[in-house]
Amino acid sequence: MSVNQANASVHDKSEVQLSVRNLCVDYITANGDVRAVNNVSFDIGRGEVFGLAGESGCGKSTVAFSVCRLHKPPAFISGGEIIFNGRDILKFDDEQLRQYRWKESAMVFQSAMNSLNPVLTLEEQFCDVLLAHTNMTRQECIKRAGQLLEVVDIHPSRLSDYPHQFSGGMRQRLVIAIALALNAKLIIMDEPTTALDVVVQREILQKIYQLKEEFGFSILFITHDISLMVEFCDRIGIMYAGELAEVAPAKNILTKPNHPYTEGLGNAFPPLHGEKKRLVGIPGTPLNLFEVPVGCRFQARCPYVKDVCRKEYCTLTEIAPGEFSACHLHKDGVVDIKSLEQQPVQG
Amino acid sequence: MGFILRRLVFYFGAFLVAVVINFFLPRMMPGDPVDAMLAQGARFTAEQIANLRLTFGVDQPLYQQFFTYLGDVFTLELGNSTFFSNMPVAEVLGNAFWWTLFLTGTATVLAFIFGATLGIVAAWYRGGKFDSFASPLSLVLQATPQLVFGIVVLFSLGVTWDLIPISYAYDPELTPTFSWEFIKNVLHHSIGPIFCIFIVQLGGFLVPMRNNMINLLNEDYITMGKAKGLSNTRVMLNYGARNAILPSVTALSMALGFVVGGALVVEVIFNYQGLGSVLYNAIINRDYQLIQGQLLIMTVFMLAFNFLADVLYVFLDPRLRKGGK
Repeated sequence: MSVNQANASVHDKSEVQLSVRNLCVDYITANGDVRAVNNVSFDIGRGEVFGLAGESGCGKSTVAFSVCRLHKPPAFISGGEIIFNGRDILKFDDEQLRQYRWKESAMVFQSAMNSLNPVLTLEEQFCDVLLAHTNMTRQECIKRAGQLLEVVDIHPSRLSDYPHQFSGGMRQRLVIAIALALNAKLIIMDEPTTALDVVVQREILQKIYQLKEEFGFSILFITHDISLMVEFCDRIGIMYAGELAEVAPAKNILTKPNHPYTEGLGNAFPPLHGEKKRLVGIPGTPLNLFEVPVGCRFQARCPYVKDVCRKEYCTLTEIAPGEFSACHLHKDGVVDIKSLEQQPVQG
Repeated sequence: MGFILRRLVFYFGAFLVAVVINFFLPRMMPGDPVDAMLAQGARFTAEQIANLRLTFGVDQPLYQQFFTYLGDVFTLELGNSTFFSNMPVAEVLGNAFWWTLFLTGTATVLAFIFGATLGIVAAWYRGGKFDSFASPLSLVLQATPQLVFGIVVLFSLGVTWDLIPISYAYDPELTPTFSWEFIKNVLHHSIGPIFCIFIVQLGGFLVPMRNNMINLLNEDYITMGKAKGLSNTRVMLNYGARNAILPSVTALSMALGFVVGGALVVEVIFNYQGLGSVLYNAIINRDYQLIQGQLLIMTVFMLAFNFLADVLYVFLDPRLRKGGK
């Protein structure tokens, strides 16, 4: 697979903040190695919100962890490049990596509720990251921490409190405030609102968006909530079984899917407007990564499957400007998947 | 501080229960101190025996003995020892107390410091060389009886190579003073017993610490600590160990509570004049007053250190604090 083919970019080189190239992540298991992320490539521009969506276990978080090199055994990055501002972070030594983390790319974790250390005060958790990366004095750190709390609408007097004294939504905002501490150029948000109710979710996403506009960082946004993602992101990558199935501008994902899996995801969510439609799930179960078939990984669940899908692997290809798809349907020009006749799937 | 007061009331109740058990337990053994003296070959006339029974108070009904005892406990009037030539129990125990506190206390604190630290390191480098070596070894050490270490150390270091004294807390010809010579002598005598107690306790702190820490390393705040670009040491200590140490604090205070029980086996092997030896002699000679006095000290110590653990826990874990700081 050539790098150019997979270069899912809509930006000039100078505007690219993060460029993931042919990333592969393996897990070592008792039954042999499993490739959890296979040949994933995408770019994130400066100030862009890039979404990664897909079923649980499809490798979204694994990709996110790779960008901070947070994998620990049995997972390891087995191939590819992660270029951040022109430097390959996979080649960093320990000290370079330590400096890169949080200063360049910060992360809001899947369960932000549990990502605060329960026995340290917030002040301590703000100060340790500021002291580790800047030459600020402790007094300056505390002042900065207070400002950051104000950014997420929490009173600075609460700096001396412990995490358990905050509500779930507040803890989420606290983690976001810590993520903003060093003006990181990229903030990875791994399902930042999954554990929260929709009202708090909306509050937090509005806050994030407003902060992004203000500080101009890029976001790698991960969720399995497609409708939320379409609202929030500029471009979206759809992952299936450890691979990118499609990358396209957010507005296209629901209206003009370029991959049968994307269409399936879209059909599984109720539309907010328009007539009532019966929701359709995707038949079958996610791929068992121990038994990866020859050809397309989605073949067993695809309603448009053809002979070629069972024989030939399909790489992510730019089928129209800014639109990438890994599907054989587009071999002879772009096809409108929504208009195709579906065939029954044995599941 | 309502919390501390509530705990104090609780521990006082526990103390009373313990006093009751302390009193009745030795009296459930067959025979009494006078029988023991007779069994050792002392010859008395019937009148002398009756007088002795009167002196020891064993002729009175149990409940009466109990109330006398209860009153004595709170006035620290613990009676006289039959075995140690009629010395007051408080004095016998007082002499032995400091030796045991020094011996077992030092060994326990050392075992905690080394055990917890090595446990943290073993967990952090889980599956590495150190972990694969130290963790199974400490399990073996923990499972080995003190008796075995005591005898091995005594015979190898003490007898065969003559590196350490084999008896007493200090040379009998020295008078206890605060001179360097005396302190050196005491330390030299304590190496053997301290090592034996230390080595057995080491695994007791290492293994739980390692397991706690391994569980904790999967927590999200550890990952976030790493993602924040903090140094490894800081994540290991402030994020990992700081949380993992909480259960070990309880284990430490329990161990310290047991300290005054003395390391009976080790003290007997090294003929060390601590509370362990005293208890051993008291039991063999049915010295009720002494047994009771010793059990009383153990009870008070155990309760005191449990109380300390409660307070320390609240200090270490902010989640247990009520109503802010």
